[in-house]
Amino acid sequence: MIKYNSKREGTHYLNPYLGGVLMGLLMIVTIFISGRELGISGAVKDTVVETAHAISPAAAKAHPYYGMYIKDGQSPMHSWLVFEVLGVFIGALLSGIIYKRVRKPFVEHGPSISSKRRLVVALIGGILWGFGTRLGRGCTSGAALSGSSTFSFGGVMVMLLIFASAYLFAWLFRKLWT
Amino acid sequence: MGPLFPNGLISGDWNLVIAVFIGFGFGFLLEASGFSSSRNLAGVFYGYNFVVLRVFFTAVIVAMVGLLYFNYFGWLDLSKIFILPTFLPSMIVGGVVMGLGFIIGGFCPGTSFTAIVIGKLDALVFAVGLFIGIFLFAEVFPYIEHFYYSGNLGHVTLTDVTGISAYWWAFGFTVIALSAFWASWLIEKKVRKRIKEYKF
Amino acid sequence: MNRNYFILTIIMLVLAAGTFFIPRKSLQQQAKPSKLLWEIIQPTRYVSTDQVAKMIIQKDPTLELIDVRSADEYNKFSLPNSINVPLDSIVNEGGMDYFGIPGTNVVFFSNDDIKADEAWVLAKRLGFNATYVMKGGLNRWIETIIQPKEPAEESPGTAFESYEFRKGAQLFFTGAKVEKTTTKKSKIVVRRKKKAVVAAGGC
Repeated sequence: MIKYNSKREGTHYLNPYLGGVLMGLLMIVTIFISGRELGISGAVKDTVVETAHAISPAAAKAHPYYGMYIKDGQSPMHSWLVFEVLGVFIGALLSGIIYKRVRKPFVEHGPSISSKRRLVVALIGGILWGFGTRLGRGCTSGAALSGSSTFSFGGVMVMLLIFASAYLFAWLFRKLWT
Repeated sequence: MGPLFPNGLISGDWNLVIAVFIGFGFGFLLEASGFSSSRNLAGVFYGYNFVVLRVFFTAVIVAMVGLLYFNYFGWLDLSKIFILPTFLPSMIVGGVVMGLGFIIGGFCPGTSFTAIVIGKLDALVFAVGLFIGIFLFAEVFPYIEHFYYSGNLGHVTLTDVTGISAYWWAFGFTVIALSAFWASWLIEKKVRKRIKEYKF
Repeated sequence: MNRNYFILTIIMLVLAAGTFFIPRKSLQQQAKPSKLLWEIIQPTRYVSTDQVAKMIIQKDPTLELIDVRSADEYNKFSLPNSINVPLDSIVNEGGMDYFGIPGTNVVFFSNDDIKADEAWVLAKRLGFNATYVMKGGLNRWIETIIQPKEPAEESPGTAFESYEFRKGAQLFFTGAKVEKTTTKKSKIVVRRKKKAVVAAGGC
């Protein structure tokens, strides 16, 4: 798996099917232990709630959305997902180090656009995702991946819609990638 | 026996510690499979890199089949696990918005985190966008609250809605996924003839 | 490389197809017919109205009274601290939550023995032990406890003893009943099997 040959061009990735099998097994283990599946966007939401609470505790508690997640005596960050995302960062860092992919900060962009343009669209994409994950009750990891594996109707529906919608708009935004 | 935490076999704090390890494995696999590059991720929509399809679908079918076997062996009580609830209109709109975000931003939340740690600034900007997006959602929440909670079907599974048993779904997904893998191999060969770089 | 993938594809298909052939475990383990028959003919399942009265008066914590008549009859009159599980709904979801709680003795009763006996057989079939039937049902209850008859002169001493007991019980139950009419139906302590905790989750 770990190949230290400098002759090889490009960066080395795990065989995707192997990665998929391992991920599937990981999901089974997760359910076996915790009765729930992986997720990401919930942790981001918890962070936003915590930030709102830190800025102005009274207003946050009274807020119709943030107030739902603020409980006395326990920080919203004290959640399964936040701890899991912490692990995600560490695991990804380790993988980046092993496969020699960690680099000084740079902007990765398609051949037809500039770095600046890439940053702008990344921001727009992020905002759309932030909004969308709340409506969709999860992101690709939480709703689509985990939801589908547990045979959830909503999970499969969200998964199909994400991919269908992206395919629908793909031609429109082809200049971003090719 | 399982699931351990809902059955009271492990305590709440251990559950959080285990969450870190599970996240560790997840993050490692994501990054190692190539999900830390937006250009790899977008490749599935243009036919030059099908890593998303391959990893994602393999994980889904392995988990589906695996869960059914675990249930049979008595290691897992499927009635006690969390099933994502279905809120029909809200999730439909959410899915479309997320798909648009995917093709524009090239990331999803989890993959953006794996890209941040290897130094991608666009991923960092994407994550900032996530925060802004959730903040915006919270601000308009009072106006869309009714829409947000509408169409609640509950924690329904595919079997509940369609009446087709889980075994058919697992098998069906497997057949479709495997066919898609072979088809993607053919498509990739064709598309990569035109494009010079396809693995980032 | 391709041959390996081909083999993996076959393996995955076989595994997925294998899920069809997993035998589905039946929901309940049913008692063997011969064992059931033997238990039906034992008289040990009967408890007398005196015993039930004693357990109620002593506030026996293991006692769980189940009235298997319809809801209307239950509301008109029933034994104190009894739960109403109509006979036809015992096998419905939730009906069986009241059985099988370790440490409790379930006593079925109805107007006479018949319905209570049926409930007992049902519960036995489903594998629940520690179940009993109050002999004579509520009819006998009224005969013995609510309106006990003074034994004849020549009856044995034990008859007088139980009569004494029954008079006391009558006071207990009818006296308590007078208090009851002023308040709303008293809170019945219902013990149910702890509902399985479903995991929290979501993203």
